[in-house]
Amino acid sequence: MGRRRERSDIILDILSVIQSKGGKIKPTHLMYKANLSHNQMRAYLSELIQKGLVETLQEENHEYITITQPGLKFLMQMRQMKEFEKTFGL
Amino acid sequence: MLQLVYSPRWFYGKDIVIDIVSIVVLLCVAWFSLKYYRINKRNKNYLLLCFGFGLMALGFLFKIITNFTIYYYVLETRHLGFITLTYSVLRASNILFFVGFLMYRILMLIGLYILYSIYIKQSRISVAIMVYLITVLTYFSRNAYYVFHITSLMLLCAITWQYYVNFTKTRNLATKTLLFSFTIITLSQLLFVFVGLSQTLYVVAELIQLLGYLGLFLTLMRTLKDGKKKRKE
Repeated sequence: MGRRRERSDIILDILSVIQSKGGKIKPTHLMYKANLSHNQMRAYLSELIQKGLVETLQEENHEYITITQPGLKFLMQMRQMKEFEKTFGL
Repeated sequence: MLQLVYSPRWFYGKDIVIDIVSIVVLLCVAWFSLKYYRINKRNKNYLLLCFGFGLMALGFLFKIITNFTIYYYVLETRHLGFITLTYSVLRASNILFFVGFLMYRILMLIGLYILYSIYIKQSRISVAIMVYLITVLTYFSRNAYYVFHITSLMLLCAITWQYYVNFTKTRNLATKTLLFSFTIITLSQLLFVFVGLSQTLYVVAELIQLLGYLGLFLTLMRTLKDGKKKRKE
């Protein structure tokens, strides 16, 4: 059995999934790809929107989640942090 | 007079450059660790790593201070028959030298102990006792320089072993570079134990230490690069 994901792992997964889909994804797709429940996803998204890391976008009656420039920068920092953690065994 | 300088005369000043390089590398790792702690405050190990490397950097700063001497004038009076002469004399104080060495050793050992405590969890009481023992050990090892180096060597061996264990788990280039860097730094400490025998050994140990810290810098750069690379994938 895999270990339980930390909060930082979940945020990293959400931002990575959005980026891998060209920076724009439908909420349902995000939920499945990031392996989250609906409530979990809404809670994390509201926090990420508040911090300006992602935005919601309405296009042809569909809601999309997009990653912002600060979001991309934060994603890079998170990845570097994870590498740092792995290297120093933290 | 105590002999605390093991460097040959021609190497004076050059060891300061090596210490400055070590400070810069240690501060870089401490700064990134603090930066990542701000992102993920739940993982206290980032903060411990920051403190550990930060104290080691501060230790090296005190080591640099030992190279400076305070000069001061004192007025002296001498009676020559009916004549009283008053003149000023230039005196040198070794206070910076002794305080610098004491602080360098204490901070270096506490820094290494903090790094060790990241991997082998310690209770608060153990930490307090260890800090006390390190301070006492450092104070009473003024006449036996090798006690400090042997203690550093033991702590470095324990930390390097943890990095070896980490490398066997991850098997990536950054953990391998970190393992090599700490092995080299440990080797330099082993040589420092014997610097009393030969001044050349001091130069070799300093150069090996420089290699170790440069390796640590390469590790940091590799880690940051690997983090960036994954963004493009």
